[in-house]
Amino acid sequence: MPYYQTWEEFARAAEKLYLTDPMKVRVVLKYRHCDGNLSIKVTDNAVCLQYKTDQAQDVKKIEKLHGKLMRLMVSKETHSGAMETD
Amino acid sequence: MVLLENDSFLTELTRLFQKCRTSGSVVITLKKYDGRTKPVPRKGHAESFEPADNKCLLRATDGKKKISTVVSTKEVIKFQMAYSNLLRAHMDGLKKKDKKSKSKKTKATQ
Repeated sequence: MPYYQTWEEFARAAEKLYLTDPMKVRVVLKYRHCDGNLSIKVTDNAVCLQYKTDQAQDVKKIEKLHGKLMRLMVSKETHSGAMETD
Repeated sequence: MVLLENDSFLTELTRLFQKCRTSGSVVITLKKYDGRTKPVPRKGHAESFEPADNKCLLRATDGKKKISTVVSTKEVIKFQMAYSNLLRAHMDGLKKKDKKSKSKKTKATQ
């Protein structure tokens, strides 16, 4: 299972995968305080994208992507044309 | 599986994070939710079901206890503010890059 090396690549691929089929995609966050690890996984059971970090600066990025996907999920228009890509 | 209101979910999630400070991990799953509560029948007529397109399902677990909540459009703005603050507040165990600890400096001067 490949881990993405840069956040930008991961975020782009994750959004692309979400837009392919929103109903199939799920986002998983895993946080281990004792190890100081945070990982994020986006999958539709066919493709699996993962990103792992131990840097505090990435927490904000992951949290922002998480929030963005949540807003997309609850919006009426599933295929939103206005993508404010970072 | 415990389905909670949004506020109760945030309270329980805070407890999960506090509980997993020393050992264990917190796993949060987010997915879109169409409001279905029963499986789709293989044969026969499915119930009249109008899928919702404005909901998402949030689950959290520490491996032992599970909690979940459904967030809809009208709740997402309020929920997300509290949720974002919660995540940033509790995910503070990661390394800070290029930052020297203040305590080290204090010890050196004393």
